[in-house]
Amino acid sequence: MADAYRVEPDLGFINDVIALGGADVKKCYQCATCAVVCPISPDTRPFPRKEMIATSWGLKDKLIGNADIWLCHNCGDCSTKCPRGAKPGDVLAAVRAYAITEYAIPKALGKAVNDPKKLPILLAIPAVIFVILGLITGLLDFTPEGTEIVHSHFFSTWLVDLIMVPLSIWAVAIFALGLKRFLADIHANALLEGKTNQKRIDPKGFIEALIRIIPTILRHDKFNECGENKDRATAHMMVFFGFVGLFIVTSIFFVVLYIFQIHGPYSQLNPVKWLANISGIALVIGTGLMIKSRLARKDQVTTYKDWSLIGLAFGLGVTGMLTEMTRLGGMGGLSYALYFIHLMFVFSLFAYLPFSKLAHLVYRTVAMTYAEYAGRK
Amino acid sequence: MSKKFGVYICTGCGIGDALNVDQLVEVAEDEGFKTKTHPFLCGKEGVDLIKQGLEKDGVNTVAIAACSRRVNFDTFRFDGCYVDRVNLREQVVWSHPSTKGEEIDHVQMMAEDYLKMSMEKLKKIKLPEAYKLENFTRKILVIGGGITGISAALDAAKAGFEVTIVEKEAQLGGYAAKIRKQLPLNAPYTQLSAPVIADKIKELQSFPNISVKTGTVVARIAGQPGDFTVTLKKPGEAIEFDVPFPLPPEMKVDESGKEYDKDKLNEIYKEYNTGKNDILTLDPNGEKFGAVILAAGWRPYEPGAGEFDHLGYGAIPDVVTNHQFEQLAANGKIVRPSDGKPVQSVVFVQSPGKGDDSDFEYTGSVTSLVALKQAKYVREDNPDGKAYVIYQHMRTPGLQEYFYKSLQQDPGIFMTKGEVVSVSQNGAGLVVEADNTLLGEKIQINADMVVLATGMVPVTADDPVINLAYRQGPGFRDNAIFNQYADSNFICFPYETQRTGIYAAGAIRRGLTMEESIEDASGAALKAIQCLESANRGVAVHPRYGDMTFPDFFFARCTQCKRCTEECPFGALDDDEKGTPKPNPTRCRRCGTCMGACPERIIGFADYNIDTIGSMVKAIGVPTEDDFDEPPMRILVLVCENDAYPALDMAGLHRCTYSPNIRIIPVRCLGSVNVIWIKEALSKGMDGAFLLGCKHGDDYQCHFVKGSELASIRMKKIGEALVSLALEVERVAQYEIAIDEFDKLPKIIDDFAAQIEALGPNPFKGF
Repeated sequence: MADAYRVEPDLGFINDVIALGGADVKKCYQCATCAVVCPISPDTRPFPRKEMIATSWGLKDKLIGNADIWLCHNCGDCSTKCPRGAKPGDVLAAVRAYAITEYAIPKALGKAVNDPKKLPILLAIPAVIFVILGLITGLLDFTPEGTEIVHSHFFSTWLVDLIMVPLSIWAVAIFALGLKRFLADIHANALLEGKTNQKRIDPKGFIEALIRIIPTILRHDKFNECGENKDRATAHMMVFFGFVGLFIVTSIFFVVLYIFQIHGPYSQLNPVKWLANISGIALVIGTGLMIKSRLARKDQVTTYKDWSLIGLAFGLGVTGMLTEMTRLGGMGGLSYALYFIHLMFVFSLFAYLPFSKLAHLVYRTVAMTYAEYAGRK
Repeated sequence: MSKKFGVYICTGCGIGDALNVDQLVEVAEDEGFKTKTHPFLCGKEGVDLIKQGLEKDGVNTVAIAACSRRVNFDTFRFDGCYVDRVNLREQVVWSHPSTKGEEIDHVQMMAEDYLKMSMEKLKKIKLPEAYKLENFTRKILVIGGGITGISAALDAAKAGFEVTIVEKEAQLGGYAAKIRKQLPLNAPYTQLSAPVIADKIKELQSFPNISVKTGTVVARIAGQPGDFTVTLKKPGEAIEFDVPFPLPPEMKVDESGKEYDKDKLNEIYKEYNTGKNDILTLDPNGEKFGAVILAAGWRPYEPGAGEFDHLGYGAIPDVVTNHQFEQLAANGKIVRPSDGKPVQSVVFVQSPGKGDDSDFEYTGSVTSLVALKQAKYVREDNPDGKAYVIYQHMRTPGLQEYFYKSLQQDPGIFMTKGEVVSVSQNGAGLVVEADNTLLGEKIQINADMVVLATGMVPVTADDPVINLAYRQGPGFRDNAIFNQYADSNFICFPYETQRTGIYAAGAIRRGLTMEESIEDASGAALKAIQCLESANRGVAVHPRYGDMTFPDFFFARCTQCKRCTEECPFGALDDDEKGTPKPNPTRCRRCGTCMGACPERIIGFADYNIDTIGSMVKAIGVPTEDDFDEPPMRILVLVCENDAYPALDMAGLHRCTYSPNIRIIPVRCLGSVNVIWIKEALSKGMDGAFLLGCKHGDDYQCHFVKGSELASIRMKKIGEALVSLALEVERVAQYEIAIDEFDKLPKIIDDFAAQIEALGPNPFKGF
């Protein structure tokens, strides 16, 4: 019969989700307590009950292109109330991690990002690129001159941009490719499951929806609707705005450098420097709080995908701040070394962004926009 | 032994406050019964008072007017003394507000009546003496050498009994020897166990008191518990001691539908059973046994042609039953019957999906568990294997819940409630379509094989198996209401069958797993032992355990109507060619159904017979207009002692109140009620009578299977007699009550009393 759904469980998918933190998914007995207690689930076709059975049956096709997995903010209310300990919140997080690797190409890199054994290689890549490219171009100077510590004397700004600008383009390109498929998939899924009132995606309407949804994201409105993990909103907001601040600072720096030809470092009295420092501190404290809460919460699963991202963000903030502090403290050698490490983290951030959990900033934004556009209530 | 009477009245628990005890004592003394009162009769002092009477005065027949006979049973039990309990507490003072000092002291009248009734009964009874068998055998016969039979034999042997196992197959083991693995036996109940049957058989061989007869079946079991004569034979053999079968109803009537006379029936019966000895002929070479454990087990359900067409059974070779799948699994790695290739994906169908949510026939938790076990086989054979279980009911009782949970955790096992719509061939594979699944839509599953969870048919569905040489027939009677399981619907009394001394265990009783069957075997073994340890002392088994009385026949007046033989729920009576009943006291459960059936009233028990109850009815005082301007009504209530009587006690305990115009007489079973008692009550001027007993029908609650049903038939007949006496049929009724429905009793009683009140007094009053 044509109207029947052909079930084709993917055992590999189930095992991957289990490895990614959804180990308890099979405990689910479909009571739907999760879908009832979820504070942010829509009323029609609510999640995560249907996602739980789809996962435990290995129905990858019902999950990867399902925007609902991105509407979930992992509040944890479902996991706390689950009578069977199936931890729907963690299962959805694992499914999201799987979805990220599905949409980001090359897939091998996605797998490597989620594999702790590959971490040394991933970290070695920027170091090797820096050294080789630096030595070839001569833009990396291991014996910087002058009494004043200026990082660009050691690691030329040209070299930084030579690497980071193409890297940003690569990240954007991978996202663009992934999103194209993602958007088509979630729309197809929404049509199939009757979750939308829109027949096709109209770019104008979609962008309008994006503009409508941005304040919600900035204010962390959905996060604040959470019950169990509400305290996480503060830490998340600090990290989020830390990154936003640092993005602004970097942009200003870039513009000032190339248009006004003014080099750093800036004076501590410069308002841009204030923003840079505040953002850096927010990033360090925010990630620090995340680490603390992850360590304290025994009932929530924290896997490698979570630790690697928090570790990256924390490392980024700490090395950045320390680079600045050692520079001000006149510890030249140490400061240059820290700067090198800091740049390795920056590289990792850009290069692995579309493959790591951090990709949620793109997918969730798109999914929330889609939900807004599609009238999902 | 001559009787010496005594009456002991307790004045505690509110009895002394509500009643005029002196007056009660006077009533007893008037009858010449030595009477004593005590404020706390069940206390040490009170009991000593009674003992003193027994020892010093030689009292041996006493009425204890205190609480219900259902409480303080052991306190008021004295060796060598017959005790009758007058229920002044629960059924008099606790269930009626005191009427002391009122114009008509209803409650006092009630208490006095009950005391008089008891004394009248004590005068009429004979002191019970136990029936002793001439020959008594302690040997136990186990029918069936599977896991249940072997376990039962081991348990009985360990308790010191001699046991013989008969097994129709050439070797022991039954189904348990034909499987790959068993359900988990030990914590954490997540891994299948190796079959235990080989160890059980080994253990069996170490017991010299167990003998095994393979390739053997029971030709007939004659006699009674404690003294069965058993003839064994080879399967398929025809011998003269094969059990004769009663005539089927259609052979008992002539062409016009009229029943043949006795001689003609005998002739046809003999012709029908040519070559077989009558049931009363004992096999001189028969083996003696005391009790029987029936563990003959089950056979796999065989779907009829076209029965599961929509599931492809029969047409598609890869659609098999769970039994066929088990055989495939026992042979090694599971391969498809069609092409011999290993299976990757198997769908287990738990319900046939015929528009409702019913499962296959003869299934239960065992078929759920077998599906789980076989799903595990699929996963064991192939790490990439997928097993789907589509069920309407998933039943995993007890610790097997852990097994179920562990399988839910297996990434390759998929379970959903759902209705399987169809199974069809799709190239080399199969497609299973299911609706109403947890996935929220109609689904299709690709499968290599489909397994149907068909049931375990008890062998009693095909054959009587026990082949009893009983007049009522060789098997269990009216077994269709139990779906042919060897059961008796005694929810509270497992292992009991409708035949005393035959105890069923294992899958013949209901669908059971091997683990449950092993436990079941212990239960049946204990029951068989209990039966032997009762029959040897001549006392009844359950539910009147310890009763020393047994039915006594005054044969001189027997009209050979065969009613007692036919109506006995336990087939205890075997009539001879003339129709004279032959009692088998150890088969008897002492319900008294024969006594209720006998139109000549020639059957009775030492302390429970037409006369004792009749005298109690006569002892009830019926006030007339000579006594009062408006004499209170009198209603006789014959109450089943099993459920209705305790319900009345509970009503008293909860201080539910009801009309004081009723007079209760407990009966062993409504089946023992002889309509003469009701006629006597009405003819002496009582205004109405009703029976209070258990529910009857397919889901009956009668402790003696048939009693309340027979009573209802007899009560219909009494209606006709009442009309001929110009009495309204509404004066007699029968009500059903369950043991926990005490709260409904006041309404039943008061409504009936109001109905009688509306009819007015019995016109025979005062005659």
